[in-house]
Amino acid sequence: MNASAVSLPHGHDGHSHGHDDGGHHGPVLQYQPGLPLSRGKLIMWLFLSTEIMFFAALLGSYVVLRFGAPVWPKPHHVHLSEPIGAFNTFVLICSSVTIVLALESARANKAGLAKMWMLLTLLLGTLFLGVKGYEYQAKFSHGIYPQAPRSRIYEKPDLYYGSAVRDRLGEPAIIDKLKELDETPADKLTPEQVSARARLQQVRKMVASPEQQAFDLAVVADQVMPLPTEGPGGSHGGSGEGGGHGGHASGLNDIFPWLRLPAVIPGGNMWASTYFLLTGFHAIHVMVGLIVFTILLGYKLGPKDAGKIENAGLYWHFVDLVWIFLFPLLYLF
Amino acid sequence: MSDHDIHSAHAHGPITRAGDIPVHGEHDEHDHNSHDHGHGGIGKYLLVFLALCGLTTMSFLTYSSVWPWRDQPHVGWAFMMAVSCTKAMLVVLFFMHVFWEANWKYVLTIPAAMMAIFLALMLVPDVGMRTRMVSQERALRMARTSDVLLMEQAAEAKVLAEAAH
Repeated sequence: MNASAVSLPHGHDGHSHGHDDGGHHGPVLQYQPGLPLSRGKLIMWLFLSTEIMFFAALLGSYVVLRFGAPVWPKPHHVHLSEPIGAFNTFVLICSSVTIVLALESARANKAGLAKMWMLLTLLLGTLFLGVKGYEYQAKFSHGIYPQAPRSRIYEKPDLYYGSAVRDRLGEPAIIDKLKELDETPADKLTPEQVSARARLQQVRKMVASPEQQAFDLAVVADQVMPLPTEGPGGSHGGSGEGGGHGGHASGLNDIFPWLRLPAVIPGGNMWASTYFLLTGFHAIHVMVGLIVFTILLGYKLGPKDAGKIENAGLYWHFVDLVWIFLFPLLYLF
Repeated sequence: MSDHDIHSAHAHGPITRAGDIPVHGEHDEHDHNSHDHGHGGIGKYLLVFLALCGLTTMSFLTYSSVWPWRDQPHVGWAFMMAVSCTKAMLVVLFFMHVFWEANWKYVLTIPAAMMAIFLALMLVPDVGMRTRMVSQERALRMARTSDVLLMEQAAEAKVLAEAAH
């Protein structure tokens, strides 16, 4: 298979041995690869096969957790934006193409072109991370974190939830802010804020009352952060709750960001754990790829560097591959 | 057997520089090979790219109002997984050049793929079925579909919204 591995030093044919050269030389050792590929590429493929199992464990856990859970949030319940996810998919596919083109340019001895494609890959990878960071910010702003104490997500509108809302409203800083809000004249607030203030006063009464029902707490949870209703092409609220403001911008937490009241997303905590674990590990892989590309940009990227680009490309395609499965599983299921 | 041998061998060919064999040693032949295999045509990569974009749009269709099986999520899931597997195959075969590789590709990919599948299956009894049998204490605090319905009813009731107006 590998013709060059058989050609021998000193022009001997393939069957000659070291002792034919004359006694004082000793045997000439030949390198014969077990597989017809370079060592670097072999190691990269071995590494990738361990990576397959790493992500298979993560994705497998996600799938069994998701389908084993009694209730799992819909993507719009957790403020996921499908178009943004699709855009990120597109960005990664483009970056896969550009790294392939970088390899082809390097093989064709067009180092300048290879550098251009490599730089473009680096930029696309950075764009992916930027969009991912924006998405994380959207989750954080809704109190969706993988873990307490930052996470403000409750599983169901039960008494624990009610007491958590009461505790938050009873914090000294919040009491001061609420007092300030109550004393603000209505003409200094937007109509939306005036209506939200009235709703907030109702919520305060409801959680303070000793005879609250499960349904009251669901109403409280809906006021704090309604579960956005699904609509094709975006999460513009279809159920039209309250005064014509649909969607998730009408929650008290959105109108008064300082409130940061506990919110209810059934199944939201397990969702957050899996989402941040999966996308976080994927993002770490993207970062490693970006570091590799940055290092490679320091090389000439001619035919001699094609092997390096190929290995970096193999890794990058694998990162793309993981996202190909992550996107539908997280955003569209 | 000394440095001399290694260096002279290096001068004649890449044999003693193991790591570089296919890249350096085959470099002259490689260019011919790549043309023989039709491997590396930019047009081919662009075709794969367009196919990937088309497939992404297809899986995105399940999210749009055009998708006819909105009330049967399983149809959409199966469709999306089929689309994802197709995309994965395209990336592995063409972008990762596996289509043009020798038979060693099976040695690495098939065991890894099988172990990945077994790994996921082994999680089912422990993790996937963990909510089948739970203590009453835990069942009380677990989110249920009824909680989502409760939230939806609360949203429709407009209790506070009317009070606010």
